[in-house]
Formats: sequence, C-alpha cells, structure tokens
Amino acid sequence: MKIRTTKYIIKEGFINAYRNKLMSLASISIVAASLVIFGMFLLITINLGQNLKGLEEQPELEVFCDHELDDAQVQTVEQAIKDNTKIQGYTKVTRQDAFDKVKKMLENNASVLEGMDESFLPVSFKIKLNKPQESKQAVEELRSIKGVEKVTYPQQVIETISKLSYWLRLISVIVIAILLIVAMFIISNTIKLTVFARRKEINIMKYIGATDWFIRWPFVIEGIIIGFLGAVVAFVVISYGYSAIGDKVNSDLIYSGISFIKFVKMREIGFEIISLYAIIGSSVGAIGSVMSIRKYLHV
Amino acid sequence: MVEFKNVTKKYPNGTVALKNINLKVSKGEFVFIVGSSGSGKSTLMKMILKEEDASDGEVFVNGYNVSTMQRNEVPYLRRGLGIVFQDFRLLPNKTVYENVAFAMQIVEAQPKEIRRQVPMALALVGLSRKANVYPNQLSGGEQQRVALARALVNNPCLLIADEPTGNLDPETSWEIMKLLSEINSRGTTVIIATHEKSIVDALKKRVVAIDKGEIVRDQEKGQYGDEDKDYKIHH
Repeated sequence: MKIRTTKYIIKEGFINAYRNKLMSLASISIVAASLVIFGMFLLITINLGQNLKGLEEQPELEVFCDHELDDAQVQTVEQAIKDNTKIQGYTKVTRQDAFDKVKKMLENNASVLEGMDESFLPVSFKIKLNKPQESKQAVEELRSIKGVEKVTYPQQVIETISKLSYWLRLISVIVIAILLIVAMFIISNTIKLTVFARRKEINIMKYIGATDWFIRWPFVIEGIIIGFLGAVVAFVVISYGYSAIGDKVNSDLIYSGISFIKFVKMREIGFEIISLYAIIGSSVGAIGSVMSIRKYLHV
Repeated sequence: MVEFKNVTKKYPNGTVALKNINLKVSKGEFVFIVGSSGSGKSTLMKMILKEEDASDGEVFVNGYNVSTMQRNEVPYLRRGLGIVFQDFRLLPNKTVYENVAFAMQIVEAQPKEIRRQVPMALALVGLSRKANVYPNQLSGGEQQRVALARALVNNPCLLIADEPTGNLDPETSWEIMKLLSEINSRGTTVIIATHEKSIVDALKKRVVAIDKGEIVRDQEKGQYGDEDKDYKIHH
C-alpha cells in the first residue's frame, strides 16, 4: 500500500470516529469498563502469583513433637533431624521458648495462663532445608520419625492459594471473554452507523473500482481508535485505583506485622498492562469493525 | 469490447430478466440500448459491471471473462470502465474538483497525474470554472457533467451510461448526449441505456431494442421504435 493511501485511510478513520462522537464515546466507555474489570482480575492473579513465589522461597518447616515426650525421646527426634541430609540446619524451640511466645502473643490477656506451666506445650524444631524444592519429601521423612506429632510447612498455604488462583483465573477468562464479545458487538454497531451514513460513498467507490480493503480500512482504523482509547482510559483508571489501594493495604499489612504479603508495585507491571490493554482494545475494535462492514461491501 | 454469449438471467424470485442474449459491441462503437422499464436493459447494463451475474452463458468485457471472474478482480474490471448514472451519484461534501480527483485517488494514481488529469477532464465537459463549487450549487446538467468528468478521468476504454438524461430537461439532455457523442468520437466505446426517443432518432447510431428480456431489433443508424408503442405506454 502506498504512503499517501495510508495517510488517506488514517485520516478518514479519525474523521469517522469524530463524526460519530456520541456512539464512539459509548463504545470507548464499554471497552474501558471491560478492560478495567479484566485488569482487576489480572492484578489479583499477578499478586497471588507473586506472593506464592515468595512463600515458596521460604523453606522453613516446623516439626512439633508429641507434647508427652520426655527429654530422652526428644533427643532421639533431634538426632534423626540432625542425620537427615536434606536439612541444612535447625533451631530447637524448647517448651519454655514456646511458653514465652504464647505469653507474648496473649499480651494483656496473659492472665489466662496463670497457674499453668510450659509442660502442655510441645518441643518443636524450626528447620531450614538445603533445597526448597525437596520440601515435600522432607516433610514425609520428618513425619515418619517416631514421636513427631505434626509438621507444618508453607506448602499447605501454597496449595490453597494455587487452587484459589486457578479458579480465579478460570472465572476471569470466562468473564473477560463475555465482556470482550459485548464490547466487540457495541463497536461493531457504532461502526455500522458510520458505514450506514457513508453507504452512498461506499457504493460510489465500488463503482469507480476501489478494492474492498481500500473501502474497509478507514472503518477498521475507526474501530482501532475506539478500542485503543478505551484501553487508555482503562489503564488510567486501573493504575490510579490500584496504586491507591495497594499503598493503603501495604502500609496496613506492615503495621499489622504481616510482612510476607506484598502488593506488586504498579510501575513494575505497568508496561505489560498497557501493552496488553492496547493489543486487546485494538483487536476488539478491528474485529468489531470488520464484522460490521462485511454486509455493505457486497454491491 | 463487450460480448454477451447466450446469456440468460433468472432472478431468485423466478423472474426471467434476460433470455438467451447474444450481443457484440466492438471498440469505438456508440450503442443505444432501448426498451421499456422492466424490459431487462438495466439488468444488461448491470451485467457488464458484474453487479449481476449471468445464470447461464458468458459475458466478456474489455478482455475479462466476467462470468468466471473472482470477486477480488471486480475492482480492476471497473477501473477500465467509466460509469454514469441517472442520479449522478456525486459526493455532496466534496467539491467538483475533489469529486473527480477522488476517482483517481482510489486507484492510487500519482498526485502529479491527478493534478494533470482532473483539469483536463473538467475542461472536456466545460466545467473548468466551477472546479471549487459543491455539487448542490450546480444544476442537474452540470452535476451530470461532473459525473461524466469523473467517469472519464481514468481514461476508460468503455463508458457505460444508465439513463444518463433521465433526470434532466430536454435541452440539457441534448447537451449531455452531444458530449457523450463527442467522447465517442475520441475513441471511447459508449453504451447508453435510454428512453429519449427524440435523441435516439436524431443521432442515428446503432440501436439495440430489448423487450421482455429479448433483443427484438439491432440496427445500425436505427430509430427508437418503429411504432413507438412502448414509449407511449410509459410516458
């Protein structure tokens, strides 16, 4: 295609979109709304994934002995842990340590512990693994040690979160597909109005010998403009909204001492999101417009 | 230039518009297609443009076999033809000059070519001084001349005119017909579908009469009709 033809086509595309201001605006809003909802799902998924990774990198396990074990039996458990080659190191949490921790957790309500001593609490070992990816096997081995009551490990949390994020992703795909189809039909309808307004012109162009694509392109450009503007609006909304919520939640989390959950910063993923938005918005617009002109081209 | 071989056209609703038409128009000819409304002459014109396809038989235009042509080749067939309609079909938001230039833009002509050809086409139809005027400021005859300039600007070898004077008064009709005849004398083949009995009779060109989908008469230096029966019925 020649450069001046491209110029003509792009100019006509803008003129079309402008002439049809109200409908264009409506379509832009629909695209923006769909993309904002899409963005919410996307951000939740990204955050879950990121935090999951953080959790997976925490190789710490904790082995709780049966609280009825005597010192000698605890000793054998400790020996078994020491002998395990998958374990890099460990710290022993004595009954006294655990009791202190409980006391500290209860703070002002420590009075409930009055008259009790540490004997109802189990001895536990905090364990650091050599390789985090061996955690599953290590957990199995530790469980099989006689006198071990339970082993806690981040894997449980990880599994729950991955299951959650799987469902979330599935739901978001369905929701987004529906929203984008709706957006496509609305864009297609908008462009149908332009096509209808210019049907005489299209007819004349066909008689003079314009190719189908020469006629089609300005409408495709119109669709792309609408889709792209929708994407820009959606990005502005989502990035402001997300930053506001993210900052608030992050500071709340730090305040309450939960430091392992962290919101991903917008500037880290902003570029990916805007490019994804631009691609989705433009293609929805382009497909919508191709759908609407098909009928009118058969002269 | 144009050849119809045993062409039959049936519309999906069962109407037979053309029955076994054989017609040959050679390069440089000037042909009137006459007949009452519904006789099939519009269908015949549409088949030259591949607006309608033959149900049976073959149509050749300008070296193309129109009957077997692919959809994407149609624009290139039409680029070799100049087309004029009864209702002018000018773009109201473009000036006279832009309307004519538009025909060259869509075939992706060089801007230099456009600047050279458009004034020439406007001069040919005598509208050089109205180049920057919008169609709604022109009379019907002038609008049709703009349409003619647009049809000619790409130097087609065949000009098709479907009732070109249908919306014009007799005097203006004459001017347009004279112009068409002049264009023909420069070497362009011209095919006109018309109702204008007086003009057809006066010009003494080849006349092909169609009635109920069949060619009933094909005469060199012909007349509109021997008894002008159809003419009276419809006017």
